[in-house]
Amino acid sequence: MRDEKPIILCVDDEEIPLSLRKSVLEKLGYSVVTANSGAEALKLLEKHRVDLVLTDMLMPGLSGAELAREIKQRMPRIPIILFSGVNEIPEDAGYADFFLSKVEGPARMSAKISEVLSQSGYLTGPADSAA
Amino acid sequence: MAAATSWNTSTMNSQGHAKPMEDHEKVNILMVDDQPAKLLSYEVILEDLGENLIKAASANEALEHLLKKDIAIVLTDVSMPDIDGFDLAEMIRQHPRFQKTAIIFISGVHLTDVDRVKGYRQGAVDYITVPVIPELLRAKVSVFAELHRKRRQLELLNQQLEHRVSERTRELKQRADLLDLATEAIMVRDADGIIRFWNSGAEELYGWPRDEVLGRHVNDVIAIKPHNSHEDLHPDLFSFGRWEGNLIHSTRDGREIVVASRQALKSKGDGGIGAILEINRDITATLQTEEALRRAERLAAMGRVAGIIAHEINNPLEAIINAFYLLRDHPTLDDEARRYAQLGEEELLRVAHIVRQTLGFYRESQHPVDISIPEILDNVLELQSRHFQLSRIEVEKLYETEARLFGFPMDLKQVFLNLITNAVQAMPGGGRLRLRVRDHVDPLTQVRGVYVYIGDTGSGIDAQHAKQLFEPFFSTKAAKGTGLGLWISKGIVQKYEGSIQFRSVRLAGGSATCFRVFLPAQFSAKTAKGRAVA
Repeated sequence: MRDEKPIILCVDDEEIPLSLRKSVLEKLGYSVVTANSGAEALKLLEKHRVDLVLTDMLMPGLSGAELAREIKQRMPRIPIILFSGVNEIPEDAGYADFFLSKVEGPARMSAKISEVLSQSGYLTGPADSAA
Repeated sequence: MAAATSWNTSTMNSQGHAKPMEDHEKVNILMVDDQPAKLLSYEVILEDLGENLIKAASANEALEHLLKKDIAIVLTDVSMPDIDGFDLAEMIRQHPRFQKTAIIFISGVHLTDVDRVKGYRQGAVDYITVPVIPELLRAKVSVFAELHRKRRQLELLNQQLEHRVSERTRELKQRADLLDLATEAIMVRDADGIIRFWNSGAEELYGWPRDEVLGRHVNDVIAIKPHNSHEDLHPDLFSFGRWEGNLIHSTRDGREIVVASRQALKSKGDGGIGAILEINRDITATLQTEEALRRAERLAAMGRVAGIIAHEINNPLEAIINAFYLLRDHPTLDDEARRYAQLGEEELLRVAHIVRQTLGFYRESQHPVDISIPEILDNVLELQSRHFQLSRIEVEKLYETEARLFGFPMDLKQVFLNLITNAVQAMPGGGRLRLRVRDHVDPLTQVRGVYVYIGDTGSGIDAQHAKQLFEPFFSTKAAKGTGLGLWISKGIVQKYEGSIQFRSVRLAGGSATCFRVFLPAQFSAKTAKGRAVA
């Protein structure tokens, strides 16, 4: 288990930011699967094992907060981070575990992800190369 | 008709007025004589006067008539059996109702009798000797009748006048009551500016009781802005007779209030100034509410714009930051290219930082987290570092403890940002900003926590502002301040079950102000939960 990389599901409707984020997270030592919408993310979750969901807030269809609610109803133990370009915490963000600004930079994003992973107890710890 | 004619004539004769009387009310003439023949002859003589003639055969009968009717004239024989004319007259005079009743005695001339007649000089008394000359009797009766009628009219007029006066007094009283009911301050000052009227609305608005301002000059009671004195409005007031506008007045306790003022000039008969009437309505709260609404709307609009801009900037910004992050360690880059990529990433993170700080604070977590006060203070200092340089402010830090507590970093950042911004703005010409953090245990409650001191060597806080400092919309910075900073800060600190206090001292070389914030290390779970939901 320890050597296995945590699997992060990245959800964003914008293709370029999503692919760059994927590369950064992989470089930080995570396995990454991506989805372009909330619906796609829910489908993916049924098939794949996912250790953490990092989702954009404003998306067509399900918003990040709505997606968080849907996921928590099905799989309450999966930690979810709302990842937003908006600096205000949304009112319906209660289902997510954390709210993170998109522009904190890779280092802070990584720190937050490992913090959430360890706090949730879903996984024993962050990937070795994440620091 | 003959009676009316003679009546008019008699009016002219007795009063010299050409104008006939409107009031033709007949008067009662009581004739008293024990001899029916004489009564009959008087009746014949006086018939033409057109008055009511009443006959009485004795003094007793006469008194009965007097009690029943309003008698204008008593024509009485002097010598009668039982009660003679003089006795009757005396009885009549003793009664207050009949003191004005005219009495004419008919008698043979005796010196003693004439003397007795003189004794009645105060009242309307006359006498006629026997044999009676009809014209003389008629003339005398007519004069008395007319006198009686005039007196009755005067009495009536007097009554009406008294009634009108009392009515008017009641009206005025009601009007004065109305003026006191008004919530507006209503005052009247005379041509010299001396206050002559001051209603309870004015008492309430200005805090001056009526008896302390009446007779004083208005300038000594109410300071006025933007004018120097109340007389500054006179040119307008004299040209147009009225003045309307907003003024800033000072109350007794030195508070400045904005009043919507209406003033009117009341001229005297000769064209000079009689008085200046002034009605003032306190619109301070209304203005503040309007201003607060405008501010709130502006802030909300700014918030919406900030949200959109933040979103539109942050999305591509994240992608660029990530791109540089991937680029900087890329194996194909030489050292120089790698350094450029690294610089690019650093600068982008700076942009991101500014966007985050200026386009609204956000809270990372729904739950309170473990935070360090010195860390938060350093964070705020970093934000303000440019201001320190510009204003030549030295920063002195003394962190005696790590001061870790459970809370929301953004909340506390806002508190310290407000306090530090105030301190910086109080030192436009430079100065020293002192920050100190130390552990503290409340001696009363034994609650553990930290004291955070933020001190400046700036302009100080006026004693008169001390009370209002934490009130919403209170600002000494006019357009620059929202007047909400300290109020919000206090609210945040109170949610942490802490306290915020300040001291300001004036020294010879300047002044020193210090705010002290107490934050308990652990605030109750209930509060923490409440905050998380919020």
